[in-house]
Amino acid sequence: MKGVEKRAFKQAVFAVREQEAALDIVQDAMLRLAEKYGDRPDAELPLLFHRIMQNAIRDWFRRQKVRSLWTTLLSSLSSSREDEDQDPLETLEAADGSNREEAPGEQLERAQTLEIIDEEISRLPERQRQAFLMRYWEELDVAETARRMRCSEGSVKTHCSRAAHSLAAALKARGITL
Amino acid sequence: MNEHQFGNKVRQALNRGLLGISDKVERRLQQARETALSRQRAERAPALVWADNVLGRFGGAWTTVTVYAVLSLALLAGGATGIYTWQQNQRIAELEEIDSQLLTDDLPIDAYLDRGFQNWLKKRSAEQ
Repeated sequence: MKGVEKRAFKQAVFAVREQEAALDIVQDAMLRLAEKYGDRPDAELPLLFHRIMQNAIRDWFRRQKVRSLWTTLLSSLSSSREDEDQDPLETLEAADGSNREEAPGEQLERAQTLEIIDEEISRLPERQRQAFLMRYWEELDVAETARRMRCSEGSVKTHCSRAAHSLAAALKARGITL
Repeated sequence: MNEHQFGNKVRQALNRGLLGISDKVERRLQQARETALSRQRAERAPALVWADNVLGRFGGAWTTVTVYAVLSLALLAGGATGIYTWQQNQRIAELEEIDSQLLTDDLPIDAYLDRGFQNWLKKRSAEQ
């Protein structure tokens, strides 16, 4: 669990694009894995954790949909907004590591590159992103990726190929060369 | 650069990104992991594990609920069979006892069918 929690967190961030929500999702997934499947053999746990994570992300989107519907309804009823005077920069936290001693230009460039890669991965269609990250980040083979995604090996290859092409094109368009 | 090389480059970048995860997030993740481990489901009873294995071998997707239901039914059926067998044995033993008493008695069996004799026995026992 320890080895995959950061990666799981990042994958949740790619999906929901909110750090707090991603943390909640990973936390819920860990709890569900431990409570419901804690007695399963170790070999089954990565697959189970992956499925729980995907379900938790889907649940989050479902809840967001309901919440946004209610928010729209309520905001149309009330004309005043309490948070109008708040400046979002006031609550923005400094990125971790931003105070390390390093050439500022180099550090900024690296951080920007990683941020752009994260953004572009987030923009990939869900299935393409899942397949690409499992194949190339988690280094799973095609068969295992197909098993986790419950699809054929051919579909995994197609998703990966499309994701790689889209990502490469998007990064190139933003001036990033890997 | 082919797809595989590109994938490797992205992996390196993503792994570098992991190093930049804030301490606050790391602490929350660690806390979540510890909470999850503390609530880890206890080992199931050996009988259940065995039943699950056996049933899983035949059916595949057996849920815990099914395992519990099957075990309960098996226990119920076993109990009912036990009670029935015990009752049968008791009845056979009683019949055997009556038979042996009848066979060893001096009185002829026909005497028990004679209503007058039975009335006499009752009257006699009432007097005593």
